[in-house]
Amino acid sequence: MTRKNVDLKIKELKSNLGIMKDLRLSVGKVIDDSWEETIGPTPYPSITDLRNWDMKILQKYKPFYMPFCDLCCLCTYGKCDLSNNKRGACGLNMEAQQSRIVLLAACIGAATHTAHARHLVDELIEKFGRNYPLDVGGTNVEVEAPVTRLVTGIRPKTLGDLDTILDYLETQINHLLSATHTGQEGNNLDFESKVLQAGMVDQVGMEIADMAQVSCFGFPKADPNAPLVDLGFGAVDPTKPTIMVVGHNVPPAIGIMDYLNEKGLYGKIDVCGLCCTAHDITRYSSKAKIVGPISWQLRFIRSGLPDILVVDEQCIRADSLEEAKKIKAPLIASSSKNCLGLEDRTKDPVDEIVNDLVSGQVDGVLILDPEKVGEVAVRTAMEVAPKRKKFKIIPEIKDLIEIAKKCNLCNECRRACPNDQEIPKAMVSAGKGDLTKLEKIYEECIGCGRCEYVCPNEFPIHSFIVKAGEKKMKQEQYKIRAGRGAIQDVEIRRVGQPIIFGEIPGVVAFVGCANYPKGGEEVAEMIEEFAKRRFIVVTSGCAAMSAGMVKDEDGKSPYEKYPGNFDAGGLVNVGSCVSNPHIAGAAIKIASIFAKRNLRGNYEEIADYVHNRVGAVGIAWGAMSQKAASIASGFWRLGIPVIVGPHGSKYRRMLLGRKDRKEDWYVYDSRTGERVYGGPAPEHLFYAAETKEEAMVMIAKLCMRPNDNTKGRAIKLSHYIDLHKRFYGTMPDDIHLFVRRLSDIPITMKDEIVRILDEKGWKERIIPDPTLLPRMVRKKANKK
Amino acid sequence: MSMFEDIPVDIGIVYEGERIRKSDLFIELGGPKVENKFELVRVKKPNEVKDGQIKIIGKDISEFEEGSSIPIGILIEAAGKQLEEELEGVIERRIHEYGNYIEGFMHLNQRYDIWMRLGKRSYKKGLNSFKIIGEVLFRLFKSELPFIESMQVTFITDPKKVEEMSKEAMKIYEARDARARKLIDDDVNEFYGCDLCQSFAPTHVCTITPQRYANCGAISWFDGRAAARIDPKGPIYTIEKGECIDPVKGEYSGINDNAKKKSLGEINRVWLYSAFGYPHTSCGCFEAIAFYIPEVDGLGIVHRDFQGKTVNALPFSTMADSTAGGRQIDGFHGLSIEYMRSPKLLQVDGGWNKIVWMPKVMKERLADYIPKDIIDKIAIEDDVSSIDELKDFLKSKDHPVVEGWKELAFEEKVPEEEISIETTSPAMGMPVAGGGFKIILKDAKIHAKKIIIRTPKKK
Repeated sequence: MTRKNVDLKIKELKSNLGIMKDLRLSVGKVIDDSWEETIGPTPYPSITDLRNWDMKILQKYKPFYMPFCDLCCLCTYGKCDLSNNKRGACGLNMEAQQSRIVLLAACIGAATHTAHARHLVDELIEKFGRNYPLDVGGTNVEVEAPVTRLVTGIRPKTLGDLDTILDYLETQINHLLSATHTGQEGNNLDFESKVLQAGMVDQVGMEIADMAQVSCFGFPKADPNAPLVDLGFGAVDPTKPTIMVVGHNVPPAIGIMDYLNEKGLYGKIDVCGLCCTAHDITRYSSKAKIVGPISWQLRFIRSGLPDILVVDEQCIRADSLEEAKKIKAPLIASSSKNCLGLEDRTKDPVDEIVNDLVSGQVDGVLILDPEKVGEVAVRTAMEVAPKRKKFKIIPEIKDLIEIAKKCNLCNECRRACPNDQEIPKAMVSAGKGDLTKLEKIYEECIGCGRCEYVCPNEFPIHSFIVKAGEKKMKQEQYKIRAGRGAIQDVEIRRVGQPIIFGEIPGVVAFVGCANYPKGGEEVAEMIEEFAKRRFIVVTSGCAAMSAGMVKDEDGKSPYEKYPGNFDAGGLVNVGSCVSNPHIAGAAIKIASIFAKRNLRGNYEEIADYVHNRVGAVGIAWGAMSQKAASIASGFWRLGIPVIVGPHGSKYRRMLLGRKDRKEDWYVYDSRTGERVYGGPAPEHLFYAAETKEEAMVMIAKLCMRPNDNTKGRAIKLSHYIDLHKRFYGTMPDDIHLFVRRLSDIPITMKDEIVRILDEKGWKERIIPDPTLLPRMVRKKANKK
Repeated sequence: MSMFEDIPVDIGIVYEGERIRKSDLFIELGGPKVENKFELVRVKKPNEVKDGQIKIIGKDISEFEEGSSIPIGILIEAAGKQLEEELEGVIERRIHEYGNYIEGFMHLNQRYDIWMRLGKRSYKKGLNSFKIIGEVLFRLFKSELPFIESMQVTFITDPKKVEEMSKEAMKIYEARDARARKLIDDDVNEFYGCDLCQSFAPTHVCTITPQRYANCGAISWFDGRAAARIDPKGPIYTIEKGECIDPVKGEYSGINDNAKKKSLGEINRVWLYSAFGYPHTSCGCFEAIAFYIPEVDGLGIVHRDFQGKTVNALPFSTMADSTAGGRQIDGFHGLSIEYMRSPKLLQVDGGWNKIVWMPKVMKERLADYIPKDIIDKIAIEDDVSSIDELKDFLKSKDHPVVEGWKELAFEEKVPEEEISIETTSPAMGMPVAGGGFKIILKDAKIHAKKIIIRTPKKK
């Protein structure tokens, strides 16, 4: 329990204790200190409190800058060209400018999640009261908020407690954002340290949002057996009125489900979602359906299936109103952050709004009341559906062919395509009646629609692509396990030891979007590979959907094949974007539940623990928004490496280790205090892979940690070597850096590796009890 | 050249989790469809073993029809100066581990219960003879277990022979188990220690004796013995037993010295068979916890898979928190399931006579090891759900702990002491004494930037 600004006034009080008149008691903050865990050195860390830790990490993984743009255009002194070691008018150099942009992105990401959390918490407090208890997993989850405990030193028990924590987060984002102002921070490493602070804040913000919604909406509570729900375009019933929900803030979608339930209309209307609202609505009701990730928005709208669009916040196409108009479907905007120029009808009677939407008097409305959204959306969908008869703007094949014949091959579309798809060639073929090339593009298209905006003939190219892929699209019908939320403490206890030892070779988390040609397939393939190898595979957000969009020869999708528990060979969908902290939370909980380290306000020690012992890696495969920047930063500060896909270089900088520099890889052996070479494990903190094959080898490699025991290291090495041999056809050239003792060698490769070690002049080393913090070196006890 | 270059399929740890489904299988060896199957390791004299020999009694793989399930026996005979019969069981379990390294080959279970499958794809690749599987096992055993100096492998598929030999094997398993159970701490000169858990519980010093399994339940004294020989510099090492200081408590000078050294002086004494005083430290991966219930002066035991709350209203996770971390905590004791089968189980504290509660599943699992006169007196979650109910239960069953209640004056229900929380305003910092004086505040304004509230500790 925490309270702020308590004000007590007593006009007159007579009691045994005494007489009081006009007593006024005001207290700035009331803190419940019944939690007996010792408080660590950094509760509510300021933007500099963890700077020393950051510098340790940044020393090991020095930022490697890859300017996406040589200019800075942020102030009116500019534009300033920063190339070739030039400085801008304000004195800033290229490195600092790049990290400044990263900080901006991370602040936008953190602000987005935190504002989402704020919105949810305020609304839920109004509905359920400040004292509404938080419950994310009953008796199986004692450490209910690992990230929050770690960062703030608070153990949140009620919705009201979250309010206080949000105050802190908002202050931090404010400070961090201000550091990007012209003439503020001037050093790139300090910018980077602030990026890490933004990432940490972001993790807390997300955790709060998910805790609030899991507790109040009855989502699965840390349930490995959360229900399997429908996924894919083909899961939507074209004969029913359809409500399409998009975004990240679920209350309006819940308003819809509640209204359906109340009126007994379940089953008469399909509610289907895209992006994280889709995740969260299926966590609320397994009757809702998931169409797919962000890149399915345009194609789904144009297919004409939705009878009404309900958009909330984040990752929503800015042209969704225009697109909705094309298919004669009305739109409801439901978030103050995304009003789309629509009139605020929140206070108007439902009948009037429905009437205006159905009659087409207005294209859309803004309604900032989730319950009202529910009623308006359902009633409008029911009335609109028979009128518009699934009106679509996807052309018929014969029209498509006729139009394609008129293409003058200017090549603008291909140039505009972020993935360089050979659209002109496909158009030529289409003109001749052959749609196979367009169909192939459908499989690789990320649905951005840029091709259309540049076409001098204004051809609806994206619609052509969708038409060519229509048959495939309608077959998209899969199952996904609804987001389970947190990881149970008992699960952590079971896997804690094998993870720390390395015998479970790693925890691999696929997060963010898979917006890349074949991105979904590639994510699914990587997931299968590591689930089969008995890593623990975790997913969230759009990556979790992509992971489900494949089938094996028996027609089973990965979620049907692999169990949902946090254990070797499990495939764990934690939920939407804001469920991400359950992943970092699991790593943190290993340190607390399993190793008995105090979490409370003890960030540095725990990050040191996780970095040196927990073999976790995050993968964000597709191009993504600023939220990805902040999510990744949150992992980095805990020392967890992140791999991004081929688009990743646009993040402007990588955090790369240098395995050739032996001096970078020393750790303290906490048993003796000696500085010991721990090897380049993990080798990088932020790495862009060009292909899925490169990524898979890197995943296996980045799971190694200095703490692995010999059996664990042997297992990790054998996965690394096996994948390297399979994809590169050779033995990796750095084996000698990872073998500490002969017993680290995978037993089936002994001869081969011993020979390599001999060539490299390898010597046996000790396996330390690793830490980067001298204060963690154990002192000899003075007991008799 | 790699050591398996000439083998037609790949060999590696990465195949360990591989499952071969029914539709993919070429042949099934053992398993639920056949009655007789076994795997057995025997330690022999050097002259009885022909190093590298792989023999097949009966038909070879390629001579069977696709999709058959056949009886199977695997007999490994090994010799070596350091090899002893005690290690047979440990070596035998490696058949499972190494067998699974073979691409397209799956090995489940052990001993008389083995179940193997060979996949079609690997068969087509050329894995069509037991000779190849034998060769792989031979090379892995020889390279991993240096104390095996010579070794021969025999595969038996002739149904009659399998039947005959499996009966023989059953007798050997039984004799081996009986011997293992009979082996007591007094009989041996060496115990084993394990460092592995120090990476998360730095002062935890795991001591493994014949009658006290490692807390994790994964390392027996035999395993320890084998591991210490395989890798003398590895995490599992020999502890010289030293002098026996107290046979009842299980205190040995060798264990104390080792604990002192390995915990950097944090732990100086260890009583192997007690949950009080100087108990064996608790890591973080113990299979179960013995927890003291002061209200009844007894111990409850809960294992880590138990969901829900125990009789003292705490779930495993909460108690694990109080137990873990390599500490010696009076009344919170981490232990393995196997240790509960040991006659030394908490013998200082009264052994089974002190146990008052445990989960149903665990009681069923251990039924054969709980003394007959006490088993029905131990409550399970279906019997009681609170301490008060437990008291009544124990009393009605006349559990041995009840005897002690009189001296401890537990019989009388002490009315719960109401601790009134003093409403002292910390800002005033004045103790509130009963009567005597009054405080008069007029127009008072009290501002506090922060108030910290602490729950008073129970006395």
